[in-house]
Amino acid sequence: MPRYYDVRHVAGEATSIDIDNGVIESASTSFFDRAVVRVLGPSGWGVVSVDNYRALDLDRFIAEALVLADLTGERVELASAPYRVLPVPPPSDDPRQFGIEEKTQLLSGVEAAARGPSVRNTRAVYTERHETVRFASSEGVEYAYELGRSGFNVLAVAEENGVVQMGYERRHAVNGFPLRAGVPCGEKARETAIALLGAKAANGGRMRVVLDPELAGVFAHEAVGHASEGDLIREGNSVLAGRIGERIGGPGLTIVDDPSLSEFGFDPVDAEGVATVRTELVRDGVINAFLHTRETLAAVGNGQAGHARGMPGEVPLVRMSNTFIENGDSSYDECLSECRDGILLIGSRGGQVDPGRGMFQFNAEFGYLVEGGELGGMVRDVSLSGEILGTLHDIALIADDRRMHQGYCGKGGQSVPVGDGAPHLLIENAVVGGSGHD
Amino acid sequence: MDTIDAILKAASARSDEAEVYLSTGESIGAELSRNRVRIGQAGYGTGLGIRVFQNGRVGASSTNDPSRWEACLDAALAAMRLADPLPWEGLPAPATLPSTPLAFDPSLSLEPGTVADLLASMQSGAASHPEAVVTAGSAGLAHSHVEVANTHGLRYTETETHASCSIEAIAGTSTGYEFVSSHSLDLDPAWVGEQASFFAAFGVGGEPLTPADYDLVLSPLALASLLEAVFIPALVGRNVHAGRSRLADRLGETVTDPRLSLYDDPHRPMGPGAAWFDAEGVPTRRLDLVRDGVLEAFAYDLRTAYRYGATSTGSAVRGGYGGAPSIGFHTLVLEGPIADVMAEPAVYVRSIVGAHTANPISGDFSVEVSNPCIVDGGAFVTPVRTAMWGGNVFDLLSRIEGVSTETRVVGEMVLPALRVAGQHLVG
Repeated sequence: MPRYYDVRHVAGEATSIDIDNGVIESASTSFFDRAVVRVLGPSGWGVVSVDNYRALDLDRFIAEALVLADLTGERVELASAPYRVLPVPPPSDDPRQFGIEEKTQLLSGVEAAARGPSVRNTRAVYTERHETVRFASSEGVEYAYELGRSGFNVLAVAEENGVVQMGYERRHAVNGFPLRAGVPCGEKARETAIALLGAKAANGGRMRVVLDPELAGVFAHEAVGHASEGDLIREGNSVLAGRIGERIGGPGLTIVDDPSLSEFGFDPVDAEGVATVRTELVRDGVINAFLHTRETLAAVGNGQAGHARGMPGEVPLVRMSNTFIENGDSSYDECLSECRDGILLIGSRGGQVDPGRGMFQFNAEFGYLVEGGELGGMVRDVSLSGEILGTLHDIALIADDRRMHQGYCGKGGQSVPVGDGAPHLLIENAVVGGSGHD
Repeated sequence: MDTIDAILKAASARSDEAEVYLSTGESIGAELSRNRVRIGQAGYGTGLGIRVFQNGRVGASSTNDPSRWEACLDAALAAMRLADPLPWEGLPAPATLPSTPLAFDPSLSLEPGTVADLLASMQSGAASHPEAVVTAGSAGLAHSHVEVANTHGLRYTETETHASCSIEAIAGTSTGYEFVSSHSLDLDPAWVGEQASFFAAFGVGGEPLTPADYDLVLSPLALASLLEAVFIPALVGRNVHAGRSRLADRLGETVTDPRLSLYDDPHRPMGPGAAWFDAEGVPTRRLDLVRDGVLEAFAYDLRTAYRYGATSTGSAVRGGYGGAPSIGFHTLVLEGPIADVMAEPAVYVRSIVGAHTANPISGDFSVEVSNPCIVDGGAFVTPVRTAMWGGNVFDLLSRIEGVSTETRVVGEMVLPALRVAGQHLVG
């Protein structure tokens, strides 16, 4: 007999439209149906992932998973945790009210807006996904909900005298339809690509930097979020392990993960039936809590469950959802003037972290030199790296203009939608990378 | 009549041509948490992909559920009507292909005991550097079966086996990671464990680095991540003709050091993407992309080839179960001038944090080096605390000093370590 089992079944459809240099390359809908059955044996987990799940087969999958659980030697315990399903916010603008033809036309408008002088390639991609999630466990927890996400990205590639640069914009929403107002994104991608043709490569070195809200959100995600994940803490693979209560940054710095917010990383309930709640990873500069599943909460403590997320058919892991730095009491103008000489970094091309080593890296889409507290010339290919334990102390100013951005985060081969956000930040002594040498 | 025939029959009544791609797979695996097995897993996957063609328009759809093929076909036909027409000269007719399996090991069966043995051998390898402890690891075995068929009577099948294992270790705040994957059970899990714990243990107490230009030795892992982010996409026909490749106008020109060659070798036995036919049923062949530094070819699938007056290079691949075909590679091999790359002082770049943030068009990057260390006289001498590296992928391939004799498989590539001169590092 299993000590516990649950089954999470996700079925739905995904639409994608791809317009490349004015040609509708594809506009199609596909269907998916996957489930994961988890069973707790005498020691650890046995898990079976299946396509085309039929509830009739559950007993067979439980039996098979119990056999697989015999491979394990780690005694897994589950902490008890509150159950709750939040109402899914009603669509602000439901993409399903439009046919795929109308969506293709709208996307075409976004793509056309990215064209211009020196622009030699434009591409726009729309994605829409609707899921029905059904969950049941041996503890009697049962729920079902439907959730939709849609969004688009647009790319402009400009070329002049052998220099090739790109501008890239994306907008995604949970239960919304950002494509309807997408044309300005196409224009912005074009403007960025063309402006970057005249930008200089950034010089690497230590300097003061100002991060825009998008990049500062990625900073929170990479520098603090991953290292706060309970599975990494349990494995001893995070520099934050054992540091609850320690000061990591100045007063006024609060970093939060909140899957209950209706931003892009929203979950009405987590992937093991636990209520989703706000968790303050850092509160007023002090390490306050970790992100947990029921298993890692039992093993590690300090924090709360409700942060289990998984792709359809995959084992849920400890994941971030909506991760952000709370507003401070400074302003963007003050960040710039206090920066005096440095770089303003804008937008994100992604990042990565080694949580055990405590090193992170992320890349801006572009930047501007700051000279005497004023914006100077544009720079390209500028990145920032640092050490988790030192960098947060170097945050000198936190503005009051937080915005959230949407992206996808990969871990253990699984990609989940996330929201990242922050106000503008001024950071002292940052390690900036760039390919410039002058 | 089986499902594939039923789909092709129904599709040919409603379109000029149709293609069905059916993949199924089974897997078994287990994961370590620290030094104990925490989870045992099995998976059963199915993917059905349908493409239909009419007057140069193509539509595609996919599903996990072959019994719902009618809805999938309707969706593919709807997509076809929406797509813009492009030059199209038809799906391939059947050809006679060798029947020898290229990526199949009959002795690889999905046994829990084999998975347990892989994990145990990795752990014992890791124990050879006791300063380091294992944080996580995994091992897995899989069988996959693929069938591609079209309305011209083409129907090919292929069965593959897979085995893989990976492990992470830490000593203080120095981390190490290693993995291996193969189509057979010839892998060496003890070596995987030993490598991960060696890099974790060796990296303890790294020295600061003076910002300057250095010679670097890129491990195959580091080289793979830079090639994947920039150089490989620039060889994809669709990117080339869409204006997203810096190599677009350079066919016949020298684009790397004249001693470097890069080719796709789909028939290399047990190569990572070994196959006699591609995802559209086009017979595969060796494709010389860069020969002695000269750019010789780009990769094409049928659609991009017809569109731009080229020939398919048999380079269509599919990601996951039922994914639509796109241009990719089977077994990319990089060859260069053999040298003792670690003989002279250099900074060894084991892997890179943030390679995916490189600018895919210009090739410029600025990344953090994982496990940097000084090498000299063929040995690892001193660990380096941190190193941030800014450069350009196209430039660095023109500044190489040599490559190692030993190669390894990383993703779909077979790569040596590569020594490159004059790269700027910031400590």
